[in-house]
Amino acid sequence: MGTESPNRPNYPIRPAGTPFAAQQSTTPFLSSGPVAGSEASAFRPAHPASSQFPTPPFSAGPLVGSEAPAFRPPPSSRSNEPVRPPPSSSSYGPPTSGFQRFPTPPVPSTGQVPPPRPSFTGQPVVPPPTRPPPGPVFSQPQPPSVPMGSPPQSIKTGQPNMNTPLSADQHFFPSRPNAQPSSPPMGPSYATARGTFQPSFPGYAKSQSSSVAQAPPMQPASFPLQQGSYAPPAPPTPFLAQQGGYVPGPPISTPSGLYSGNQMQQRGIAPPLATSQALAEDFSSLSLGSVPGSFDAGLDTAALPRPLDGDVEPKSFAEMYPMNCSSRYLRLTTSAIPNSQSLASRWHLPIGAVVCPLAEAPAGEEVPIVNFATTGIIRCRRCRTYVNPYVSFTDNGRKWRCNICSLLNDVPSEYFAHLDASGRRVDLEQRPELVKGSVEFIAPAEYMVRPPMPPLYFFLIDVSISAVQSGMLEVMAQTIKSCLDSLPGYPRTQIGFITYDSTIHFYNMKPQMMVISDLDDIFVPLPDDLLVNLSESRTVVETFLDSLPSMFQENMNVESAFGPALKAAFMVMSQLGGKLLIFQNSLPSLGVGRLRLRGDDNRVYGTDKEHTLRAPEDPFYKQMAADLTKYQIAVNIYAFSDKYTDIASLGTLAKYTGGQVYYYPSFRSSIHKDKLRHELTRDLTRETAWEAVMRIRCGKGVRFTTYHGNFMLRSTDLLALPAVDCDKAYAAQLSLEETLLTTQTVYFQVALLRIRVHTAAAPVVADLGEMYRLADTGAIVSLFSRLAIEKTLSSKLEDARNAIQLRIVKALREYRNLYAVQHRLSGRMIYPESLKFLPLYGLALCKSTPLRGGYADAQLDERCAAAYTMMALPVKNLLKLLYPNLVRLDDCLLKISPQTEEFDISKRLPLTAESLDTRGLYILDDGFRFVIWFGRSISPDITRNLLGEDFATDYSKVSLSQRDNEMSRKLMRILDKYRESDPSYFQLCHLVRQGEQPREGFFLLTSLVEDQVGGANGYADWMLLLFRQFHCPDDSTDRELMLWSSENVEANNSCSSAHQMHGDFKFINFKSLEAKVRYGR
Amino acid sequence: MVKLTVVARVTDGLPLAEGLDDGRDMPDADFYKQQAKALFKNLSRGQNQPSRMSIETGPYIFHYIIEGHVCYLTMCDRAYPKKLSFQYLEDIKNEFERVYGNQIETAARPYAFIKFDTFMQKTKKLYQDTRTQRNISKLNDELYEVHQIMTRNVQEVLGVGEKLDQVSQMSSRLTSESRVYAEKAKDLNRQALIRKWAPVAVVLGVVFLLLWVRKKFW
Repeated sequence: MGTESPNRPNYPIRPAGTPFAAQQSTTPFLSSGPVAGSEASAFRPAHPASSQFPTPPFSAGPLVGSEAPAFRPPPSSRSNEPVRPPPSSSSYGPPTSGFQRFPTPPVPSTGQVPPPRPSFTGQPVVPPPTRPPPGPVFSQPQPPSVPMGSPPQSIKTGQPNMNTPLSADQHFFPSRPNAQPSSPPMGPSYATARGTFQPSFPGYAKSQSSSVAQAPPMQPASFPLQQGSYAPPAPPTPFLAQQGGYVPGPPISTPSGLYSGNQMQQRGIAPPLATSQALAEDFSSLSLGSVPGSFDAGLDTAALPRPLDGDVEPKSFAEMYPMNCSSRYLRLTTSAIPNSQSLASRWHLPIGAVVCPLAEAPAGEEVPIVNFATTGIIRCRRCRTYVNPYVSFTDNGRKWRCNICSLLNDVPSEYFAHLDASGRRVDLEQRPELVKGSVEFIAPAEYMVRPPMPPLYFFLIDVSISAVQSGMLEVMAQTIKSCLDSLPGYPRTQIGFITYDSTIHFYNMKPQMMVISDLDDIFVPLPDDLLVNLSESRTVVETFLDSLPSMFQENMNVESAFGPALKAAFMVMSQLGGKLLIFQNSLPSLGVGRLRLRGDDNRVYGTDKEHTLRAPEDPFYKQMAADLTKYQIAVNIYAFSDKYTDIASLGTLAKYTGGQVYYYPSFRSSIHKDKLRHELTRDLTRETAWEAVMRIRCGKGVRFTTYHGNFMLRSTDLLALPAVDCDKAYAAQLSLEETLLTTQTVYFQVALLRIRVHTAAAPVVADLGEMYRLADTGAIVSLFSRLAIEKTLSSKLEDARNAIQLRIVKALREYRNLYAVQHRLSGRMIYPESLKFLPLYGLALCKSTPLRGGYADAQLDERCAAAYTMMALPVKNLLKLLYPNLVRLDDCLLKISPQTEEFDISKRLPLTAESLDTRGLYILDDGFRFVIWFGRSISPDITRNLLGEDFATDYSKVSLSQRDNEMSRKLMRILDKYRESDPSYFQLCHLVRQGEQPREGFFLLTSLVEDQVGGANGYADWMLLLFRQFHCPDDSTDRELMLWSSENVEANNSCSSAHQMHGDFKFINFKSLEAKVRYGR
Repeated sequence: MVKLTVVARVTDGLPLAEGLDDGRDMPDADFYKQQAKALFKNLSRGQNQPSRMSIETGPYIFHYIIEGHVCYLTMCDRAYPKKLSFQYLEDIKNEFERVYGNQIETAARPYAFIKFDTFMQKTKKLYQDTRTQRNISKLNDELYEVHQIMTRNVQEVLGVGEKLDQVSQMSSRLTSESRVYAEKAKDLNRQALIRKWAPVAVVLGVVFLLLWVRKKFW
């Protein structure tokens, strides 16, 4: 303990070195029971899977029930906690336990610890702030009802467990003036303040004095580093470190009016006290004007934080644990795991992880492959954890301790290596699995249920009239033909086709075609010959694909016997498993699985039945999905219709089989040809892991409870993935099982059975501020979007949006309470640096296709297709979809220079109509499409060069193609470059001219998330709304507020703080409410 | 008719290739696959060395050839001519050695040569029907002294290992129990001694006591 620097997180860099004293419990690691070896013998008939069907659709099985709490309202006592040190923290109280991080004991209380307090209270020098000090923060229930601002009192309430003698206050008083001015002049006086501080904490004295003695060697190094701006390197003491953050804070006394202008995002404004580290960077704040009600003028939209650099992965975490797997594969919503349930409940955002097990690695960072051959893979006996960099070897290398369940395992003799003086294995260099967070083990025979099956691609093709007329059939056949060479698994690859309209057509590649018209009792003619080996029957397959479009040229059939055809395909494929690609053009109308037209009834919207439209209607689809998964068949749906096809039902097949939904509304081969070709090609040729199962193990005390994404749960925590590839991500939520975590670190291990293993470690913290500091907005947004989409399946869109909003508000409010003391007075919104984009992404999420608006704002099918897509999207793609890139192009196009590399295509603009100049040419890229926007007064040269002579015509009919001039070539190069950087989907190019309605509205304006569109808020309004909301100090006001709000109040009240619409009304409410709050108390 | 074909390395029992849709219409295919695996395990332990053998199991019969550290195993109906089975294995063996002969020792992944299944598939079809001219002529050939190949029961084969285990277990139990017996015997011996001499000692003691008392008081 002595050597720890008090102001650094002292997470062990190599935990192997530090024995975890705390975990001696021998209770088996939770999941080990069902887990043990079950991955190996995994192909058990999926009883659990099928049994979960009656349950609601998403995130199947027993977990469904536990999803609801994800959105639950926080305990009502929440807002009290920050003021009083939470009871739990007092139990850590005396920092005697060896592993307790030094600064922690004071920390829970330091958020409200005395020093900042006096600065408010006995403030003689500074003019009183606009609002009397006993603002909402102080008004939170304090045990004795003493006049606010009496220092002794506040000290007592701040640290009830410290028993601070009153004399301590006298020490505080001198410190007050020091705290007030902004940092530079403070140096000397600060030192004196510090001097007085030290004796003033008898409660601390014992523990800290020891560290004071020992800390100095470390401090000079770390201290200036953090306190950058704070000039005088005062003599290091733990107090200094803690106070430091407080000191450089903004002049608290400054009436917020001073800030009311444009001083947004004050980075340097440190929180009063608290986490003792890197405080200057910790959070930002946003001034929202001083006087409630008049803030409209006070908000400068230009200064709002925007993720113009795209997704920024948290770096600090990777530096802390260099052996963690890359954030490509695993991202935690916060890299600091709360150590108690009370702490977890105060963090209102989801705690969990987003996993993308097969993410594409850039060249040079490929996952190393490890072969244990005859030794067998080294795993923990009890919890079946794979050997990883965080296991520790003891007993001179004869034993290893599992980092997850801390069981001592024997090292097999073949794997034995001596330890050097520092306890590291001497052969570390040759063992990638002990150095790298991500490794791929070669699965020995015991891990295989059956020998690897040949990759099977089966195509189920709708050949009814619309498929032929739209040209889909032709494009698809051509694409498949061009992909035959690059299908994985040569020379074993198997391929097969079924087409259907009102009858089902089988092809045995002799070539013969068999037609079955009995849809009620479907059977498979020639069961052996419907699948052919591609390399052997190559010519036949090619001939077939060539003739397929012409075969149905004259087909006038409008029916679709989708269900029976699906059953037939299932029968054919059940031996081998594989990938089933379904090309569906119309609503299934015949036989089993027939679907009816729904969703065009706008009266359903806004009622309690609204959600049923987004859920699958016929249980047939879920049942089929369960059977398909059981036989290792993954389904990808390609839907093309311009009419309603009930994607909600069809998508179920993809959802539970780990597949994907592609939706091309109103497919026309002239327009969508490239998109279908690219996406089908990628689907057919990307690297795919077959018959995989995935499990996420984590350390004792925490457990993954709910999973979100496209998969089937085989047991409580085993995800069945018939086919998995780099474009799929899965999210999981974590819950704490024990009230108090005693370990210092929690480890996570993602194991995808084929076998790829990702390991990561995360520190356990006792401090909320730390959780905020290590939060990862990308992962949070990803989890949020999945939760919200799942919520739309069981409730109204409105509710889902409100749930997002409420959780953001609660999280920010909690954060504000943590650091509130001074800042609330200045009428500013404060938020952690790590979460600065969260409000914006939350807004974008509310405006995303699955969640936006009501009946008229998006086609039902589009909504469902987008929802299915977003459920599987990796973090980076999701963020880009939510906040697309907007880049101005005309400048760089006009600069005629041969070097393409010169132009700066990374300069992103805020997504608001104000960014658009009528003389400009802009491109909007959300990863799924490009929208090229031509300003009204754009130079005709550009238009002519890009579009040719007919540039004045309707842009919906013009397609962008390369023309014989430099500008056009350049634009094409830019587009290609964008496409290369994001190959998961093909970005089809839409041209839009300014003012061309409704196309402009449809393509571009809905994507400008910062603008006020329809009934939804703009960014500035949204921020104000959030600000207003979290400004109401406690739940009673919350409730009050809801009564005041214009929206209907639900029974589970705190779930609907719905004042999203009706901007003006809202402000009035807030204003009067504010008045009530202020003067009422 | 061939039901199952597996190629495995003898040295460690690593499966190298397996016929693809084997056991498609067998309800208990898994059970027999397990048996085949157990056989390989046995082989890798160095038991059952004869290079050609047939092993009966239920309604089926395993045939295997071991050559060049590779075991080619197939499972057929009992009624299927033994001669044809071995012909089939021979065909597979020749092709396998030709294609993968030099990579066998270095194979690390299980089912490293799974691509071989296409050949097995094709060969299997040739042997499907025993009445084709080709197969009849093969039956008539006297290429192999098939009837000399030993036929045993699967329980017997798989049981050998178990029995050995049992014997060693029994002998170890015998050792430990005889040790216990020896200890007990020693103990008993001592008790017998005590029982024999204790009364005498007691009587003598009493007598001496009496004598002493008498001497003292009288």
